[in-house]
Amino acid sequence: MIREEIRAVLLVAYRDLARFWRYRYWLFGQIVMNIADIAIFGLIFRGIVNRELIPDYLKFITPGVLSLSIFISSFSIGREVGMELRREVTHYFLSLPIKRGGFVTGRLLGGLARGFIYQTGFLILALILLNPPSLMGWILIISTSIMLALIMSSLSISLTTITRDFNLQATIRSLVYNVLFFVSNIFYPKRVVEARLGSASFIVDYSPLTMATNIYRWSFKYDLSINPMISFLGLAIWVIVILPLAYKLYIRNLV
Amino acid sequence: MYKKSDLRDLSNIIKWDLMKLKNQKIFLAMRLSWFIVQITVFARVISLIVRGFTGFDYFEFYLLGIYSSLLYTSSISRGYVLADEFDSGIVEYHLSLPVKRSVLVIGRILGSAISALLFTLPMMFVILIILKLITMVLEIIVSIITAFLFSIGVVSFVVLVVLRFKSGDATDIFFGTIDALLIRLSSVFYPLPIIARIAPYYYVALVNPITHFSDFIRIIFIPEYVLYTLNPIGMVMYILALAIGLLVLLIDYYEKKLEAGSWK
Repeated sequence: MIREEIRAVLLVAYRDLARFWRYRYWLFGQIVMNIADIAIFGLIFRGIVNRELIPDYLKFITPGVLSLSIFISSFSIGREVGMELRREVTHYFLSLPIKRGGFVTGRLLGGLARGFIYQTGFLILALILLNPPSLMGWILIISTSIMLALIMSSLSISLTTITRDFNLQATIRSLVYNVLFFVSNIFYPKRVVEARLGSASFIVDYSPLTMATNIYRWSFKYDLSINPMISFLGLAIWVIVILPLAYKLYIRNLV
Repeated sequence: MYKKSDLRDLSNIIKWDLMKLKNQKIFLAMRLSWFIVQITVFARVISLIVRGFTGFDYFEFYLLGIYSSLLYTSSISRGYVLADEFDSGIVEYHLSLPVKRSVLVIGRILGSAISALLFTLPMMFVILIILKLITMVLEIIVSIITAFLFSIGVVSFVVLVVLRFKSGDATDIFFGTIDALLIRLSSVFYPLPIIARIAPYYYVALVNPITHFSDFIRIIFIPEYVLYTLNPIGMVMYILALAIGLLVLLIDYYEKKLEAGSWK
């Protein structure tokens, strides 16, 4: 019985992954964009950045792009969930011989797998540009990627299921996407954020993207002064909060 | 030959496009809020890590560039609106109306360009207030006219592509990609002399209309910026030529080739 349930969950996740390949042009576009970000930031922006603040911007931005790659790919599942709700494909899903809990778990796993696969290429790029991680570093990188992918797919699903209006779905997702994108330490170091935002700069620390980027920066030995465990704990708390929320919201809005 | 009734049709079509703006209040409010985050957090922080330039501040440079990218994105988003209209049969309905096709297409393009412009005007005024440029009335008028021309060019391009694709998915993917890519391959974030260090990037930026629009409005508000870019008259001519050229191409397509149906 349990084995059948697990098989069904894996089947739903596999179906999501297969659909991911259907959007290969979108995927290609996103990969080009991320590589362009590394290239443009590294080659162009590096030329105008104050070297006293950031000696090598290319190395600084690379761990951030690892976070972005997970963020973008896992967040994409919300777009499809939204489309399914609007076109009432969810009725078909409900008729499938699988428990609702298993179905939602499968979708979340699908988002996780997407993020993980998408990130692989960028991990290789990070290995070329930065220092190779230690065993502990690898453990942290893999578990961080899993947690970040879970957080982002959960967040995206939660936001999408709030409304069935297409424009509103897209707008809410874009708003959250951009807030997370800008209010993080991906593009700038903490002390620069503090200099500009003063006492409000603490918000950046609570972003899951900041936490993941901190861990990647430590693991690839870009900044060993970071304590990765604090960020790791923060990410774990995000998972504990957002995962059940997404699960409940999705189940509630499936009908 | 155009008659008085054609003008009435044109104005009705423009009004139809503008009326749809009323349904975008929430969208505008959310767009405005993330824009405020972008300029109060990202722009302020990123400008601190950039070394100084003679004659202008990176914060000013970035904000005026961001306006260009906003207008470009808003104009591109008209492509999604049109794709939606194809999906729901509105384009077929439009084609069946007793309106000349050239009038129909000019009306749609002008209506869409005005919509995109109106949609981004609040953001433009926020930027002008932050940069303390709001008293430069003549400069604001010139920049709005240029923005309108730029938007006509982008919307014409978008409609031309949507009509060629006739596919919601292909439209979504294509515009999602070029929306972000063309902004990156322009002078929105970096001045041309910095981009010139990488020749291929520089040449792409030179033919990119976003470069011409963003640098032109920078020159309007920051005259010293002329040292960092191309001839302003050349830039305006480029924007104008693009708007007229693409609009003429689109009229030709609507009149001679466009047929209803076969939407994927």
